[in-house]
Amino acid sequence: MIYDARGLKSGFILVLYSWVAFGAPPVDYQRDIQPILAKRCFACHGPDEHARQANLRLDSREDATGKTGGLAGIIPGNSAESRVVARITAAKRPMPPTGEPLSSREAALVRAWIEQGAVYQKHWSLEAPVRSELPAVRQGTWPRNEIDRFVLARLEQEGRQPSGAASAYVLARRVAMDLTGLPPEPAAVAAFAREGSEKAYERLVDSLLASPHYGERWARVWLDLARYADSQGYEKDRVRHIWPYRDWVVRALNENMPFDRFTVRQLAGDLLPNATQSDLIATAFHRNTMTNTEGGSDDEEFRDAAIKDRVATTGQVWMGMTWGCAQCHTHKYDPLSHREFFQLYAFFNQTEDSDKEDERPVLPLGNFSMPIMRELPLDKQRRTRRQVRGSFLNPGEDVQPGVPAAFPPLPAGAPANRLGLAQWLVDSRNPLTARVLANRLWARLFGRGLVDTEEDFGSQGNRPSHPELLDWLATEVHRTKWDLKAVLKTMVMSATYRQSSDVTPADRERDPGNVLLARGPRFRLEAEMVRDQALAVSGLLSQKMGGPPVMPWQPEGIWNVVYNTERWLPSPGEDRYRRSLYTFLRRSSPYPMLTTYDAPAGLTCTLRRIRTNTPLQALAAMNDPVLMEAAQHLALRAMAEPSETESARAAWLFRRVLVRPPSEAETRRIVELRRQAEKELRQGRGSAPELLNYSEVLYAVDRTIALVANEGAERAQWRYALQSPGDGWKKQDFPDAGWLEGAGPFGYFERESDLQPETKWDVEQLWLRRSFTVKQGALTDLRLVVRSLGAFEAYLNGELAASTNLDRNGYYEYKVQGAAAKALKPGTNTLAIRALRIREKKEGQIFDASLLASRPLRLPPAASQDFAKASWVVVAHTILNLDEAFTRR
Amino acid sequence: MSPWAQTRRSLLRNSGLALGGMYLSEQATAQPRPLLPKQPSREAKAKAVIYLHMAGAPSQLDLFDWKPELVKYDGQDCPQHLLTGKRFAFIKGVPKMMGSPYRFAQHGQAGTWMSELLPELATVADDLTVIRSMNTDQFNHAPAQLLLHTGSPRFGGASMGAWATYGLGSENQDLPGFVVLVGGGNNPDGGKSLWGSGFLPSVYQGVQCRTEGDPVLFLSDPAGMDRALRRRSLDALRDLNALQQASAGDLETEARMSQYELAYRMQISVPGAMDISQEPPAVQRMYGAEPGQVSFANNCLLARRLVEKGVRFVQLYQWGWDHHGSNRREDIRLDLPEKARSIDRPMAALIQDLKQRGMLDSTLVVWGGEFGRTPMRENRGGNYGAFVGRDHHPHAFTMWVAGGGMKAGINYGLTDDIGYYAAKDPVSVRDLQATVLHCLGLDPFQLSYPSLGLNQRLIGPTDEAKVVRGLLS
Repeated sequence: MIYDARGLKSGFILVLYSWVAFGAPPVDYQRDIQPILAKRCFACHGPDEHARQANLRLDSREDATGKTGGLAGIIPGNSAESRVVARITAAKRPMPPTGEPLSSREAALVRAWIEQGAVYQKHWSLEAPVRSELPAVRQGTWPRNEIDRFVLARLEQEGRQPSGAASAYVLARRVAMDLTGLPPEPAAVAAFAREGSEKAYERLVDSLLASPHYGERWARVWLDLARYADSQGYEKDRVRHIWPYRDWVVRALNENMPFDRFTVRQLAGDLLPNATQSDLIATAFHRNTMTNTEGGSDDEEFRDAAIKDRVATTGQVWMGMTWGCAQCHTHKYDPLSHREFFQLYAFFNQTEDSDKEDERPVLPLGNFSMPIMRELPLDKQRRTRRQVRGSFLNPGEDVQPGVPAAFPPLPAGAPANRLGLAQWLVDSRNPLTARVLANRLWARLFGRGLVDTEEDFGSQGNRPSHPELLDWLATEVHRTKWDLKAVLKTMVMSATYRQSSDVTPADRERDPGNVLLARGPRFRLEAEMVRDQALAVSGLLSQKMGGPPVMPWQPEGIWNVVYNTERWLPSPGEDRYRRSLYTFLRRSSPYPMLTTYDAPAGLTCTLRRIRTNTPLQALAAMNDPVLMEAAQHLALRAMAEPSETESARAAWLFRRVLVRPPSEAETRRIVELRRQAEKELRQGRGSAPELLNYSEVLYAVDRTIALVANEGAERAQWRYALQSPGDGWKKQDFPDAGWLEGAGPFGYFERESDLQPETKWDVEQLWLRRSFTVKQGALTDLRLVVRSLGAFEAYLNGELAASTNLDRNGYYEYKVQGAAAKALKPGTNTLAIRALRIREKKEGQIFDASLLASRPLRLPPAASQDFAKASWVVVAHTILNLDEAFTRR
Repeated sequence: MSPWAQTRRSLLRNSGLALGGMYLSEQATAQPRPLLPKQPSREAKAKAVIYLHMAGAPSQLDLFDWKPELVKYDGQDCPQHLLTGKRFAFIKGVPKMMGSPYRFAQHGQAGTWMSELLPELATVADDLTVIRSMNTDQFNHAPAQLLLHTGSPRFGGASMGAWATYGLGSENQDLPGFVVLVGGGNNPDGGKSLWGSGFLPSVYQGVQCRTEGDPVLFLSDPAGMDRALRRRSLDALRDLNALQQASAGDLETEARMSQYELAYRMQISVPGAMDISQEPPAVQRMYGAEPGQVSFANNCLLARRLVEKGVRFVQLYQWGWDHHGSNRREDIRLDLPEKARSIDRPMAALIQDLKQRGMLDSTLVVWGGEFGRTPMRENRGGNYGAFVGRDHHPHAFTMWVAGGGMKAGINYGLTDDIGYYAAKDPVSVRDLQATVLHCLGLDPFQLSYPSLGLNQRLIGPTDEAKVVRGLLS
């Protein structure tokens, strides 16, 4: 059987072509005709009645032959009389009206198909997967398991050979990256390389699957689908405490929760009898939709947007269906009518959440609460109506919850609510869920799915490269009762997976995308792996799991979002070096290094990341301080190793990053670089002390001292006045002894606020003064951190330090420069501030300030041996930048 | 027809391959330099775009759309028929009508009406094409900005600049093809998605050039590194990668290496391009630019420099036009003049400067907000406070375009007597998008990219958009 060969440069299509030409080809609707009709005809002659032209419908035999009252475009067995043939081959204005006409080969296929009776088949993905017999192969010793039989049979059909096995080092790194997202432990590699046996490989695989890092790695895959983020999105993009859901996913995967239970809990955990707290946390899957708290927005509009997102995301994640297309009109290509879209909508339309600022309903968890799902009581349930052209302002007829007619019905006894829908998705009769899941696991391991268009198993998607293998895997998912670790293990134990990924130009030319799997997969690491690997090999990586998101170092000025100015400050201690999974993800300002490497920002469900290769990635790799810091620590580790020679140290570094030992040529070149770098450093190019103390240079925050503190034991008592103190209040020597005294924040709130004022201020203006003593000289990076809802001006020893007339709702940092920075002196200094409300007195007002500075960084001058040491940092950084380090080979 | 599909199609035909599947993502990664300049599919008037977006939505009624009738009704209750069935962001009950407090005059051959707040722009009136009949269907900032920039009011779409670089590549391989300049320290409401690549490969997303720190993220060498050390490191990297490629045969290795070399060149070329102090003092004065400061004037001058160097699309954001009247900074009488002053001279200078360099014909300049403001005075919470402002208004607003294939010195479209609706020749946001792409030589109906089961387009899934012929020269 010949299947889709798109992207393949092989000869068999030419063979097919000649079959057609000689008039005796067995034309297959699924393989040959449906793709032509879907791409060129269905947009106007498909399921969508509003888009339909000339009363002609071509997506079913009854319609196309005129049995249902429409135009008969096709007369089975008689291509000469069939209008479709006449129109696609017309010399003047041929169909389709846009794009180029059908090729002569395409037209010949259509003609032959009609001649042979115009037999239609259901779209392949709508038929239940069938576990077919394992195909016979000639090279009987190569296959290690069933997967290999399918792959090899196809290769033999094409006259191709599989590649040899990857080396133990390459395989160890590959499987560790794939299963845990981290490079393998050196000890585990050594053991595996020494023994090299099948048993040793299986032990390695088992230990990786049992590692807690397994859950972290595969949670990242799932969170892309869940459009997880730590903020609400839209204009204000406030912080959202939903991380317990992320931890739930990690835990569930580590415990190997069967995927059917994993599904039901996330879609309908709240509807389970005796739902536990954990079940409720799981329902946050669909609370990852965005909430719009922009003033004046219509809550119903954005509630509706969230429900549509939930329908579309559910279709994408579980069934690989682009249901979202049907929200305005009947799907142009796949069997989902406009009405059916809203029947699906109806399942999701009865939850309590309604785009409210407080994101209720929430689950209280100690000092915060997280959004969860809760069903409305029966007497408060909403009416669901079809929306004409997808507009919630234009409701049509009532609809009830229901699943699309092209699929099996809800399982017997399943309720017509989210719980029933979840049960339907994981019902063994659902033709898609297991296939989509197996395909996703395959794609993450092999770099592309058997169905390349992971997001579209419908008629516009690509057909599977290995249909029997996909079905075998899907039935394996069912047979193992949705056991993800078992299915993954089967995949990584296959000989197909263990092939070398090295490729000759000739093989690459024949199959550039490696569709036939004649070699091992090779592709760029995911963004998180790039960073995590650097942290892991340098010894910086924290082993802490779970908890609130953390803030590793990022460049200044990334978080300047309208209305929302919480500051990004590097987390203290090991939280700087947590796995990237735990990095704070604000939708409007995601972590730059990760987005540069194609990580999504949680705006929409992301089925597969498109891998790009850009100069901005090279800039990030060369210059992101996080990688440089890793290089510093990696070099320091290398120097702590008892290496006899320079070459041995170079080899240690290389193996630490790439797992495999370097070739002699590679070692030589690394040693050459080290010598060159040392020479440059000795000549004053670059700075050995900075390279050797990079962390200290980077984290200026660690040298921060509060001159005027607004928190902790050092919190400042201010002198303050509520009426004008007269001229001169800015000056250092202004007499303020008679002023009131109080601590910040100043202000009042009529509504609930995240910040409670300490001292009441409810008039228009506020004058503040605070004197402080500077003991150390040469402080740098003087900055004023202010939270205010209005304007303010601040003076240091009489010089203007900062001012604004913007109302910024959060703490914002103002750099103090120029004359004011120069005015800071040892001994007594005075900070004087006038705050002014510019909003009308409605919701309240607030003012709080602190004055911060950094102690100067004092690095020792370079000692003679430092140049050699620092040159190892350059070497380590270069190795971390190698293409191979960025590649999962 | 998408440009990728074009090459794919001819490739398929030539090699006798099977039915065309979509391997665009593959091509985008395998293609070592996806930003190489491409031929537009039809005649292009504009080679580059400078888009000046006024986030928050400036009041057209106080800048461009002169409504003497509205002044007559000033202070009267708004008629019920203008309120029934309408959704407002903040207006409650029955608001009062509000005429503009500013004087208007006609300028240039075309007699273009402008208010006294834009005296400098008035001097180039005959180079502008003023569209008074703009309209949109979104009335909140983030969705309206997203619709305008990406063709969808929700997140996930590809921005206009991304489409332009996807369709046309870039003329300068040492600079990003799509540059974003944000003035005033705050990102616009729609956030970075306004210049995102959405479903397009991320190589097409806008590169935000920053005014503090590195002009492009991660542009400067980390502490302790310098150029000489970097060169040594890159040379070793090249040699080691070459050894690996020889044994593994991966073309991506070569592509990545060329990206490193480009990045190395960008470390020099970007700071140079971004350095407006290299401009003669007279030019700086013309814009009112002050090197080292964050200002719209600096960004306008920078935009011209970048386009001159071959950047395809420069997107400027100026923040703070949301004049609701709920505080002093949102007051039409107290704050709008300041905002107008901050852009007036730089805009006029940009037009003059492009013109005197002979660049205006091939550079399309677009100015405007994401919607307009109401002819009624906003009464937040149902009553009036001390300050004066207008609410969000999607039904009519003003934008202007200049150069790049637009008909200079005309006024297009009209609103009704009180400026509530576009009364003649309405231009929707989608029409504007179609027209911009058209000027770049791209077919807005054919420029597409397959994602989520649809051939995604800037102008959206339906064919409601039209190229506005009346605007074209």
